[in-house]
Amino acid sequence: MGSQQTTADRLSATFAALADPTRRAILARLAASECSVTELAQPFAMSMPAVSKHLRVLERAGLIARGRDAQRRPCRLKAAPLKAVAEWTERFRAIWEPRLDRLEIYLQELKAKEAKHGRKQGSK
Amino acid sequence: MAASKVANSDTFKVTTPSARVIHMTRLFDAPRELVFEAMNRPEHVRRWWGNLGDGYSVPVCEVDFRVGGAWRMVNQTADGHMAPFRGVYREIDPPGRVVYIEIFEPFPDAESLVTALLTEEGGKTRLTLTAEYPSEAVRDMVLKTGMETGAALSYDHLETVAAGLKAAPRAPSPR
Repeated sequence: MGSQQTTADRLSATFAALADPTRRAILARLAASECSVTELAQPFAMSMPAVSKHLRVLERAGLIARGRDAQRRPCRLKAAPLKAVAEWTERFRAIWEPRLDRLEIYLQELKAKEAKHGRKQGSK
Repeated sequence: MAASKVANSDTFKVTTPSARVIHMTRLFDAPRELVFEAMNRPEHVRRWWGNLGDGYSVPVCEVDFRVGGAWRMVNQTADGHMAPFRGVYREIDPPGRVVYIEIFEPFPDAESLVTALLTEEGGKTRLTLTAEYPSEAVRDMVLKTGMETGAALSYDHLETVAAGLKAAPRAPSPR
């Protein structure tokens, strides 16, 4: 009940959050280790409020969690929403990669056959 | 021979330009006309489309290859599991473009619009497949189906996903 919609909403939020190069860079940084807002801001030449804004978007999308430590509030990557997006892509990769590999092999068979018998494709 | 390397396999890319669109591309070492034939004529299609490994087969491959014509293909796995697909051709423009509806029969509402483009690229042929789902709810049904099929999943692909989100829909980086 409604869980379908919830899943859709969550995925939309994930996609929206990921559709920004700075936020992807922040996630990449957090994939290495958790760090504070100050540490995150450094490589981006960005004001703390600007970084905080990105972090809020990521947090709403469930992509990061903030620690309790009032001073540091370290950010941590939460991979679950990314997993859902990856599954969406992975389904196609899993099916189409071997399928198109097989097509390539078949095309080489067809080419070899044509070379042997001369071209006779195009006949119905 | 372990993990045989198929030619041009590394040109295969999957990206997600938006939440409802999947974009796939791959190069083939064959002329465009030949790729078009192999992709669309039923006697060819059954030789590659469902042959994903030992024991796979394509018991049904019906193709009425004209605009408005229907197609239906069933993929059978080694353990007897059937995956039936069907659809209708919307546009046919040999040897460069075919647009069709695709429906995975267990989810008849989850229809996607697929555009298959073939372009010449340095003596090879590039296939570009774009599948578009009508809504995110439908997209999620597909997603759920993917989970049911137990597609092997790894976090390695997160990078690909992220890259796909920023990649422009066209012009995949040429190799």
